[in-house]
Order: sequence, then C-alpha cells, then structure tokens
Amino acid sequence: MPALVTPGSDPLISLSSVVKTYDTGEVPFTALKGVDLTVEPGEFVGLIGKSGSGKTTLINMITGIDRPSSGDVVIGGTPIQRLSENRLAMWRGRTIGVVFQFFQLLPTLTVVENVMLPMDFCDVHAPREREAFALDLLEHVEMADQAHKLPAALSGGQQQRVAIARALANDPPILAADEPTGNLDSGTAESVFELFEALVERGKTIVMVTHDGDIAARVERALHVRDGEIVDDIRRGGRA
Amino acid sequence: MTIAPRWRKVARDLLAHKLRTLLVVLSIAVGIFAILVVMGGRGILLDSFGTNFPKSDPASAVLYTSPFGSELVDRVGRSPGVAIAEGRQAAVVRYRSGDLLDVSEPPAQMTQASPPRDISLVAATDWAAVQVDRVFAQGGAPWPPGRDEVVLETSSQQISPLAAGDVVTVDLPDGTRKLLRVAGFAHDINAVPAMFSGRLVGYVTPQSMADLQQGAGMNELVLSLSDAHLDRAGVSRAVSKIRDDVVAPVGIVTYSAYVPTPGSHQLGDIFKAVSILLLALGAMALGLSGFLVVNTVSALLAQQMKQLGIMKAVGGRVSQITAMLLTLVAVYGGLAILIGLPLGSYWASWFARFAGGLLDFGPAAATPPLYTIVLAVAVGFLVPLIAAAFPIHTGTRVSVVNALNATGMDSQRFGHSLIDRALGRLRGLPRPTALSLRNTFRKKGRLALTLATLVLATSVVMSVGSVRGSILKTVSDVSQWWNYDVEVNFAQPESATLVQREALKVRGVTGAEGWLVTAAALKRGDGSENDQLSVVGLPPRTRFVTPAIVTGRWLRDTDSNAVVVNTDLVKSENLSVGQTVKLHVHGADRQFRIVGVVRGQLMGPVFFANQSYLSALIGSQGSVTRVLVRTDDHTIAGQDGTADQLQRHFTDMGVAVAGVQGEASNAADLANQLGILVTFLIVMAVILSAVGVIGLTGTMIINVLESTREIGVMRAIGASHASIFKVFVTEGFTIGLLAWLGGAALSWPMSYALVRLLESAVGIPLSFEFSWQVVVACLFVVSAISAAASLLPAYNASQVSVRDAIAYE
Repeated sequence: MPALVTPGSDPLISLSSVVKTYDTGEVPFTALKGVDLTVEPGEFVGLIGKSGSGKTTLINMITGIDRPSSGDVVIGGTPIQRLSENRLAMWRGRTIGVVFQFFQLLPTLTVVENVMLPMDFCDVHAPREREAFALDLLEHVEMADQAHKLPAALSGGQQQRVAIARALANDPPILAADEPTGNLDSGTAESVFELFEALVERGKTIVMVTHDGDIAARVERALHVRDGEIVDDIRRGGRA
Repeated sequence: MTIAPRWRKVARDLLAHKLRTLLVVLSIAVGIFAILVVMGGRGILLDSFGTNFPKSDPASAVLYTSPFGSELVDRVGRSPGVAIAEGRQAAVVRYRSGDLLDVSEPPAQMTQASPPRDISLVAATDWAAVQVDRVFAQGGAPWPPGRDEVVLETSSQQISPLAAGDVVTVDLPDGTRKLLRVAGFAHDINAVPAMFSGRLVGYVTPQSMADLQQGAGMNELVLSLSDAHLDRAGVSRAVSKIRDDVVAPVGIVTYSAYVPTPGSHQLGDIFKAVSILLLALGAMALGLSGFLVVNTVSALLAQQMKQLGIMKAVGGRVSQITAMLLTLVAVYGGLAILIGLPLGSYWASWFARFAGGLLDFGPAAATPPLYTIVLAVAVGFLVPLIAAAFPIHTGTRVSVVNALNATGMDSQRFGHSLIDRALGRLRGLPRPTALSLRNTFRKKGRLALTLATLVLATSVVMSVGSVRGSILKTVSDVSQWWNYDVEVNFAQPESATLVQREALKVRGVTGAEGWLVTAAALKRGDGSENDQLSVVGLPPRTRFVTPAIVTGRWLRDTDSNAVVVNTDLVKSENLSVGQTVKLHVHGADRQFRIVGVVRGQLMGPVFFANQSYLSALIGSQGSVTRVLVRTDDHTIAGQDGTADQLQRHFTDMGVAVAGVQGEASNAADLANQLGILVTFLIVMAVILSAVGVIGLTGTMIINVLESTREIGVMRAIGASHASIFKVFVTEGFTIGLLAWLGGAALSWPMSYALVRLLESAVGIPLSFEFSWQVVVACLFVVSAISAAASLLPAYNASQVSVRDAIAYE
C-alpha cells in the first residue's frame, strides 16, 4: 500500500469549510453547508443520513467525482480541487477505490477485465501480470471462479464483490463506497461488510455511505449528516 | 498477445450493440458510396475523355463547302499555318431498317412497318490514313468499311436497334433503293451523339457514296493548324484567311465553318453542367453523411455517458477515453469502407458507363481513378473522426458526477424552451399523440441535424421536379414559337412558288411557306469572325412562327437591312437593339441594323431578316432553301409520314432534299437532350433521398434506444404493443412532415437556382416553371417514407419487455 502520510503528519482526508451548491434552475440548492472533516489513516468511517441529507455529495467531494463550490478538499496532502480532470482521474485511480451502490461494472467486459481496467488506465503492473493480480483480488473476494463471466450473469452480491475487487485493483489506500449494501439482501450485505472490515484490518481507510442503522452501528466512526451538515461524529466506544 | 481491457471494451462495444454498429456503419457507408459514385464516376468520365479526345486529334476547324477535289486539299495543306488538311465527303440519306428492296408501295404501309430515318454518312478516301478527327473501329469491326458496307458510330445504339450484320435500305435520289450492310461500330468522339442530333452517323468509302448517287467530290475540309496555342478568335481569323485566300479563289463556296474552342469538346458545356451537378451532389452527400455521423456518434456518447463516468471514476483519463472512442469511430469508418468501397466502385463504373454512353466519350476504365478511391477512404475515416471530434470532446469532459447520474429518463432537459412550453400547452390531443409530438422535440440538436438532411433531400427532389417542369415548359414554349409540322431543307435554292405549290399537293399538307436560309459570319471588332451563324429570310407577316419579343420589335414589310436577333446571339456576342453589325454574307460584307430581340428557339444564334430584302441582297431571285408545311396530323407518326411523302415527292420531281424533319420529333429530340440533365438530377435526388431515409431511420433507432426505460414505464402502466408502436411511428411521421415543410420552403429558390445554373451551363435560355404538383406529391411520399422508416424502430420498441427496459443501462 503506498504510504500517503507518515505517523504524526496531517490527516489522510481533510475537508475545510466545504460548500456545494447546485444550480437547479429556479432556486439554487445547497447540498453541503461548510463541512469540516478529517479522517486518519486506517479509519473505517460511516456517513449516515436520510435520502437528500448530502452524504453522497460529501463522499463525491472526497473521491473528486464532484468538486466543491468553495472550501478545500485535501487527500493525502493533495488539494484535489486544484487538479485538472485528467490528473484527478489518474490520482483517483491510484489513490481511491470507488464502490457504487449499483455496482457500475462495464457490461461488455468480463469480471476479470473489469478488475484489470483500472490497472490498464493507470498503468499499474506490467501488462502481462495484470490478469494474475486481478485473479488474486477476485480470489480475495471469492469471485475467482466467475472471472470470465459477463456481469449480467452474476447476482447483485457477486457484482458488488467484483466492484470491490475492482476498487482494490491499484491497491489504493482509501476505499470510498456509496451505499455498497443498499442494493443487497441482508445476508449478502453482511458478507460485503465483513470484507470491508477485513480490509480495514489490513490498513485500508474506508469511507462508506449508508442509511442502514445496523451497519452504521458497527463502523468505527459514524458521521451523521443532515441538511448538508455533519451533525454528529460518533466513534465506537464514545463521542468524538 | 495481451490486449488491454479498454481495447477489449472497444471490440465488445462494436459486437454487443450490433444494431447501433450497423446504423453508424451504414451512415458512414452511404456517404462513401455517394462520394465514390459521384466523384469516381466523374473521374472515370474525365479520364475517358482525357484519353479519347486527344487521341482523336481533334480538328482546329471544319469548312463546309461546295464539292472539291484532292487538289484543293493539297493546296490548303501547303498553306502557311496549316499542319494537316484532309477532305471528307458527307451526305444525309434516308434509310429504313431491313431489306426492303422488293417491298412494293403503298408507302404508308411501308412507313408503318419500318419508319424512315436520316443517317449522316461520311466518307474518307483512306480511313486508315486519317490524321485529324480520327475514328476508331470497335469490337473488331472491319476498318475501313468495305463497299456496300457502313460502320455506325457507337452512339447510334442510343436511338437505333441496328446491330452488326443487319442491313438497311437507302432511298436514292433517282427514286431507286440500295442495300447497305452494317459491318460494325466505330467510335468518333467528335461526332454529335445520336441522342443529341436525332440521327445516326455512319462511315463509308467514296465508292459507296458514289453507289448511293451522292456524287464524287468532297465537301468538308478538315483542318489542323500548326499553332497549337491559338485561341478561338485566332483560329477563326486564320480559317477566314484560308477561306478567302485559298478556297474561294478556286471557285469553291464555303457555306459555313465550324471553329470549336481549342481543346474543348462540342458537348463540353453539357459535360460541364453535369460535372457541376455531380460536384454539388458529392459535396451535399459528404455534408449529409457528416450530419448522420454527428447524430449517431452523439447518440452513442449519450448512451455511453454512464460508462464514461465509471471509467473516469476508476482512473480513466480524458486522453485514454478519447482514444478509445476515436478508435471505435475509426473502426466504424473501416467497416463502412469495406461496405461502401466495393459498392461505390461498382456503381461508379455503372454510372460512368451510363453517362459516358450518353455523351459518347468512348471506352472507359472499369474502376474509379485511384485518387477518388483514396478520397473515399479518407472520407470513410476522416469524416466520422471529424464529425465525432466535437461530441467526443464535450462528452469526455462531462464531470464524473454528471456522467454517473445520466439515466434513461432524461426528465431535466425537456420543458424549458419556447417550443417545449408551446407543445406542453397543446390540449385535446390523445396522450400517446402528445407524447410523440413532445418526444420529437426532445433532442433538438439531433432533430435539427435529421431535419437538415431530410429537408435538403426533399428540396432537391422537389427541385428536380421543377427543373423537369421547366425543361418541358421550355420545349413547349419553343413549340409555340414554331407553328409548322414539317420542315424540308433543300440541297440548293429552289423556286419558292414551285416548292410551296408542290408541297401543298402532298396528302395531309394544309399550308406551306418558303424561307431563305443562308450562312453568315459576324465580323467582330477584333478582326475575328463568328462564322457559325445563319440569316433566316422570312416573310415579316409569316404565320409559321409566333415571335416572342424580348426587346425592340419584329420585322416589317418595309424593312430593308433591319434584322431581329435571338437571345442566343445576344448572349454569345453581347449585341443590343439599335446596334449596327457587319455580316459576311454570300461573299461580301453587309451592314445590318438590329431592331429587335426575340427569345431563343433552341436553334442556335440566328439573325431574322425580311425575306425579300435578303433575296435581293444575295441575288437568289425568289428562291428558297427551306419550306415549312402545316399538316392535319400533328402527332410524331403523322408528321413523320408526311415528311416521308414530302421527301419522295420532291425527289421524284428531281429536287434534291438535304433533310426533312417533323417538328414534334424535333421537340422530342430536344426534350431528350435536356432530359439527360434531368436523369443526372434524378440520380442526385435518389442518392440524397437514400441518405435522408437512412438518417431518419437512424434517428428513430436512437430515439427508441434512448427511450427504452420510458417504454418500460409505459408498458408497466398498461401500454399495449400497438400503443408503443403508434407513438414511434407518429414521431417519425411528424419529423417527415416537418422535413416536407422545410423542403417546400427551400424548393423554390433551389429550383430557380438550379434552372439558372443549367441555363448558363448549356447556354440555352430555359423557361422557369415551379412544379406545385411535385411539392404536393412529395407530401404523400415523404409521409409514407418517414412512417416506413419508423416501422422497424417502432416494432423494436413495441417488443421491449418491462424487465429489460427497467434494467436498461
């Protein structure tokens, strides 16, 4: 895993006074209202809130999928809002693995090809070695036996496992997951969560959006988002 | 070899979306096809002309004279400035197909069984030694032809079924007949193609000419001047000098001279017009194909938007994604080339054979020239890449969050514009119809491009109808000018009283009038001459023409040196009413005053003069060279029958007839000539229509694909297969209707511009007539085609299952 920070240095994720306003035509809508947040390496953070509270917008700020209207987003010392789209894509591919609620696997690529795609884009590993790495990751999420199937042949839970493997393809220090269990049955959701816990134990930093109360209760740190603000920051074993 | 996943995605996208791939490939292929047919066909024609015309060693000038012998040819050949002089003997004879030597009268039955036709026979003393205006035997035809044989010019096949081995029966001046065997065909690029002249051209020996009782002397002096850099005026001056200094002194009369623009073909103007049309068509096809590609690539990107977002989310850079999309588009181009190139080459050759056959350009290459193939390949790759560049540029720069949020239900984009709001206010429509109407305007950019393609195609179709209408009106206007049925031209001046009286004796003739026609040369200010003119002497009160005065006035009985000119002459020589011109007529220069201008009658540049004055001027003493007759049967068959009887009657009297021609047949020949241009326009309209139909089908397929999720919603709330089908057919029909409206609005100026373009290209004043009938007919055709183009997409839409639709990405 690349070391983005050294012990005692700045936090891995830092958001300062982040505001995000959407122009919806008649009245502008402010999704984030000056959010401040820091996340240390190895933390497992849950962003919890109702639909429309701003949690997805917040995780999009962290992944660089969306840009703030004002404020700073610094990840591993990089102020990402200052990066061009091209550099941001490259940075994201190497730094953050993104997991979506609806899996978002490319339908025309097989499972293993989907996992290899980020390596291909970011030129990680030698081309001949990529498939072996991808199969190793699939083994890790127990999907190696499905490696050469198309996504359409898999169940939702299986697709999400593949999506997690893809998120890990370039061995990023951070995983950002937007409702990764929102589209799964409880049993499958449990196994995905366990996978995340194992990753955190291996040193990954995970930021996960969820509105599932049970899962929220099990994360190390739960940030409650309401009306574009973090209204509560609860760490397991006590309030922050 | 390891292929990177992103390139595998490109390959899978091609294969996974076969309908989309087919649509994009067809959009590009139709452009390649059109470009290759048009430019390749034009290239083959140019190559054929560029090879065969110089190979014929075209003459600098031809003098049409009274009979002369080989001594004159030798004298002219030794004259300063003359490189080669050759003599030919030409005559027009009348023939019937088949061996009719033993067929007895009555002539009417014979006329019906095998109608008489004119053939221009040309004889050279030694065809093998001819160096100017050379003729090339084709398909193993014997060359030179033997005695009693005729080798026909290849264009004869345009108007005659005669084949090698057939025999024709020629009417001789003494009333007897003689057989000639068709020995084969030869190509003479300098001959006027049969379709244009309305008569066959045949090559014979001087012995055959004598056998046909055409005398022994030559009457065409074919010249090649040694100075290849002379312009037409320079050649004209040189030829006038030869005529005056060499030909005239030995008692040979020059009736007229043909001086072409050096290096140009007699059909050069028509070819230029055709060429301009083809280039215009090529440019339009290229543009329209580009529109189609922009449309389909934009739609493809819209479909792929979410995937673009995912790729960017997992680290894909704009440059990498751009490269993937450009590769995809290049592969589309490559596939389109595989389809368009062979098809386009085949039809380019067909088109060149067709057009080359009409223009009689002679043997042509079987494949388009290399540069046109390179152009087509470049178009196949570059047009899609250029067309895709903008949509790819904008599509790949959409933010990841916007790309990921793209859904099949694009509810945000409709409802903001004026049109959207106006459609939203429409009340009383059934819901499915309202949905179709609003869907039509949903993607305005795509609608605009589709409409641009269809409007252009529709307006071209409508304009072609108007051009055809204008040509027919031109022919009709000319027919209104001429109030006669048959024209008989005599080999020498004949007594007016005699020929008029004798013509009236022929059954069916109701009126006759003699005219005096003489060749003239206009002396220009720079010393050159236009010696392809004629002065027509006619009674000012003639009832055989209805002059259409443009400016000035018609002739009066009291006029002496007054002349009326036609618009052809005004245009070519820049003349005007009140101007005095100097004409070389019957061996002397004369002054004439222009008193009026009449519309051209498609008979070339002509001066009209008071017959009695002209007769006195040239000392013809009441003789005429032409008699016009009216008959009681105005049909082509009736006029041809009377023409045949007139020829026989005068021949029996011992009056030498140079040619007879029915007016209706003349008009038909004219319509045929101009119709060639209409044929090219129709080819243009068909190709553009094909582009339009593919464009509309493509748009509808894209619309259906993009509406897949909506279709699922409609199905989920109870819409039947038929309802979905109707929604999309109505949408296609609405686009067709809009295209018709746009096409109708554009068709008038386009028709007018096309008619004027043709007019200036062929040098013939054309009447303009806008064809409302075609516009109305197009409404039905466009409606039917647009509904038909929507059938397949609408059927596909109606078959979408709710589960598939909701799951559609």
